Amino acid sequence: MKAQVRSFLRDRGLLGETAPATIAGGASFAYAFGTVVTFLVVLEAVTGVALAAFYAPSSTDAWASVAYVQDQVSLGWLLRGLHYHGASAIVIVTSLHLVQTALYGAYKKPRELVWWLGILLMLLTLAWAVTGFVLRWDQAGFWANKVEVGIAAATPLLGQLIKKLALGGNDYGNLTLTRFYALHVMVLPVVVGGVIAGHVALARKLGATPLGERPAGPRWPEQTLRNAIAVAVVFAILLAYVIHVHGADLAQPADPSLAYDARPLWYFRWLFLLRELAGSAEKLVAMATPAVVIGALVALPLADRGPAREPRRRLPYLGGLAGLLALIGGLTIVSVASDAGNDELAKRDAKAEQRAQLARKLARDNGVPVTGAADVFWTSPMARARALFATRCKSCHDAESKERKGPIIAPGHADRAWIAGMIKDPDGDAYWGRTKLAKTEAAMKPFDQMKSPDIDDIVEVIYAESGASDVDPAKRERGLAVFENACSDCHAREDGMPGSSAPGLAGFASRAYYLSFIGNPKSALHMGRDKSQMPRFDKELTLDERDALAEYLVWLRTATPADLAALDPY
Amino acid sequence: MADEDRRKFLKVATCAIGGGVGLVVAAPVLTLIADPAGKVTVTTPTAPLDLGLADRFQAGAPPRRVDVVAPVVKDAWTAARNVVLGAAWVRRTAPDKIVALSAVCPHLGCAVGWDAAAGNFLCPCHDSRFGVAGERLTGPSERGLDELPLQVVDGRLQLTWVRYKPGQTVREPA
Repeated sequence: MKAQVRSFLRDRGLLGETAPATIAGGASFAYAFGTVVTFLVVLEAVTGVALAAFYAPSSTDAWASVAYVQDQVSLGWLLRGLHYHGASAIVIVTSLHLVQTALYGAYKKPRELVWWLGILLMLLTLAWAVTGFVLRWDQAGFWANKVEVGIAAATPLLGQLIKKLALGGNDYGNLTLTRFYALHVMVLPVVVGGVIAGHVALARKLGATPLGERPAGPRWPEQTLRNAIAVAVVFAILLAYVIHVHGADLAQPADPSLAYDARPLWYFRWLFLLRELAGSAEKLVAMATPAVVIGALVALPLADRGPAREPRRRLPYLGGLAGLLALIGGLTIVSVASDAGNDELAKRDAKAEQRAQLARKLARDNGVPVTGAADVFWTSPMARARALFATRCKSCHDAESKERKGPIIAPGHADRAWIAGMIKDPDGDAYWGRTKLAKTEAAMKPFDQMKSPDIDDIVEVIYAESGASDVDPAKRERGLAVFENACSDCHAREDGMPGSSAPGLAGFASRAYYLSFIGNPKSALHMGRDKSQMPRFDKELTLDERDALAEYLVWLRTATPADLAALDPY
Repeated sequence: MADEDRRKFLKVATCAIGGGVGLVVAAPVLTLIADPAGKVTVTTPTAPLDLGLADRFQAGAPPRRVDVVAPVVKDAWTAARNVVLGAAWVRRTAPDKIVALSAVCPHLGCAVGWDAAAGNFLCPCHDSRFGVAGERLTGPSERGLDELPLQVVDGRLQLTWVRYKPGQTVREPA
């Protein structure tokens, strides 16, 4: 049966020898690197397709869609992690592959082309990583890309054109993402796939290059098993690492106005440090160093032309290569270590991480505004109002403020207890005590002699003006009569009416009232022209901003200090 | 023979390791792709939506088109504010009764308009006509216009937005 199936397939050209049946020098783990890299590239492709099914390459949505995969899709974090750290694994295994090839002298005639295609693959892999890193559109990816494009823009003559082509115009935006996305998921996979196919086909055709004299061995299953074991080991390490770090990091949404300690992907750290060391020659160093390194690698088979492949007979070349790799490795370690020893940087990083976690929590809880991911911070409850309060209102109205000039505004503002306290002692420290109005002829007299039911009833009358839903109608009814007696000489309760000598109370502590009061406290409806030091805000703040503050003040009425403390930061 | 056994074992081991790695990769990929299938990814508000003051609608006046606006629509990662979900034709049929008809044509879902000259509703796509109360007059529609749940709370209209399945005689939420 098996034989029949085989012959059926073979007759139709579907089954044949795709690889030589034997491998020179016998099976060895040294030959497994290529297979491992190929596996990792396939892993990138598979996880990439899954991630692409969730990704939106637009400057308003990109971060949000990545945060969604990371935090809200089952196992999304795992695939992001495999995809992101898988790229690092490719860089590491490719480097080992390069070292093994060099050690075995496998770049020598007639295998120069295999070696050069390998170097091309390394460069393409790095380009793949660069085009992928910007797609997350967080602070890390955005700023790293700015630096990378900045380096490319320093190319003589063509620099500006390259920059404009990369960004898709004059600045970062939607077209930047659509372009890098097209490169990352369409152009590079096809190109890399094609070059890998050529690299592998040539390598197989020319065969392996064992060191020393050893007999050839069967490829299947001897070498295949070693390949499978190597793949499994590398994948297990990658998987364990990804689970350990819970996927890949994600900084707060890209914000061109917000400074960030941009760091490139770790495999560019050596260049990053070189640039820093180069000072004013940084652009030259950033361009020239990679060219020198690539040039040296390309030139290796041209320079080392002798037939000998034993390492000890090629010491100058291997030494040079080792020196180059050691330099790159050393610079990488120094760059990472100097960051690790920088306390100021650690503080800034910790703060950035805090903002990132907040942005992700808010995105999870509230969704990201269609205006862009950076606006996610404004989805924190009453964020705009609290930010405005902190800058425009706090110094005069906060209990903690040393320069306080007006009544304290805090949770419970304008609730029943607050109104009762106000009536009993308008000049109390928490009320109007610190205003210039206090203790003057024009100030309200304390009603501390008024008896309890009466005061409660008046409180209900004033409290009802806010439109609160828990008004006691009977109390309010009784209170209206008392109000007529005790209050209406100065205060008016009718809509749109100023009191004869004191603020109108129509709609007191409602959103519309606050909106009007904040706009112009000196209006005749409110404090009157000479009785308030509070500036009018109808010119300084927009209608939306004043309304946001009004909403916040209404919320404060029923809030406790614990409620306020429990609100997400903004 | 021992060599045959060894080769067989190596083959099985190779396939087992390869298959194992493949499974561990495939499982999370498929989980991710399938994830949205089990979720409400786009929310449409089920709570009543405010359509403004009820006394704008006078008895005897022709129906008025009112946009149905959701305060928030969550769509996977975004939360959009003030999203127009559709429109309703609102009319006071009696001093104490207001009726809202969905502007979605029950035939194939086009937006139905009010033909003031004829005094009835007309769907521009396939010329279905409906009477002022929504009943089917002429054209291909299988049923009359769909009435939407409407309440008056504190003098304000509260409408519940429902999409019904088009193209069938029976009124059934989509």
